[in-house]
Amino acid sequence: MARSPATLTAGVARVAVAAVFIAAGALKARDPAAFTTAVDHYRLVPYPVAAGLALYVPWLEITCGVAVLWARLRLGALNLLLGLCAMFAAALASAWWRHLDIACGCFGPGAGSRPALLLDLARALALGLACAVLLGRELRDLPPEAGAA
Amino acid sequence: MKGNQRIFGRALRQSSVLLATALVPALLAAMLHPRRPSWSRAQAEVPEVNWAAVSAWAGPVLLVDARPPEAFALRHILGALSLPESRWEAQLPGVVRAWQPGCRVVVYCDDRACDASQEVAQRLRRELGIDPVFVLQGGWSAWLAARPH
Repeated sequence: MARSPATLTAGVARVAVAAVFIAAGALKARDPAAFTTAVDHYRLVPYPVAAGLALYVPWLEITCGVAVLWARLRLGALNLLLGLCAMFAAALASAWWRHLDIACGCFGPGAGSRPALLLDLARALALGLACAVLLGRELRDLPPEAGAA
Repeated sequence: MKGNQRIFGRALRQSSVLLATALVPALLAAMLHPRRPSWSRAQAEVPEVNWAAVSAWAGPVLLVDARPPEAFALRHILGALSLPESRWEAQLPGVVRAWQPGCRVVVYCDDRACDASQEVAQRLRRELGIDPVFVLQGGWSAWLAARPH
């Protein structure tokens, strides 16, 4: 059976979203100490919480990135990724608002600058939008009895 | 209504599975990762030092400028070497050549709102084992205010 262009586009978008989150998670999971520093520089949470987030968030990104490709867990994965994108966007917007000259930390250690923060914010919003569109499609395509599964 | 509840329940179950799955590698990383973070800021952060104290030091001091290359090219503290994170690989050999055992390293960036100096200082300590290393309190702005006219 031939697939519609919309189905193909959704498939490509899922692979792209999964690849971005798996790559971002893997780069941060390689160096939790450096990511802790990056999280701490946002000055939003106490240091031990930053360390906990730096250990956990990269693995959550990787897990959800993989799960986006698996139909049985896709709904939950897209929900969590949408939440993560909202959290990242809020943190980046707050750093921009407070005139912090810091690195995003989104893809591991990097140079910090305010213009780059705006680009990172735009990327987080675009990723969040992609997750929201995919989530909407997932909800629309669920069979009525699927909720029981 | 019931359908919505079922979908919500399904999303919640899937999200819980993913949140729990990500916890396993995160806990392992917290215990076993060679680059696991410390749980206290005092252990992780490089100590700050003000310019008055640096001026009074006897013995060699290596000043490292963590600001962007354009800012360094415009003006910098006399004798400082440029080492922004964006050009870490390219500029690091110059810093390593200039450093000698027993030499104190002081890293600075723009002001209190920037964290580049803390990041560069931590990387110098972590990746090269350079010690003692300090961050200049208030950075370039504080140096401008404190320098002799």
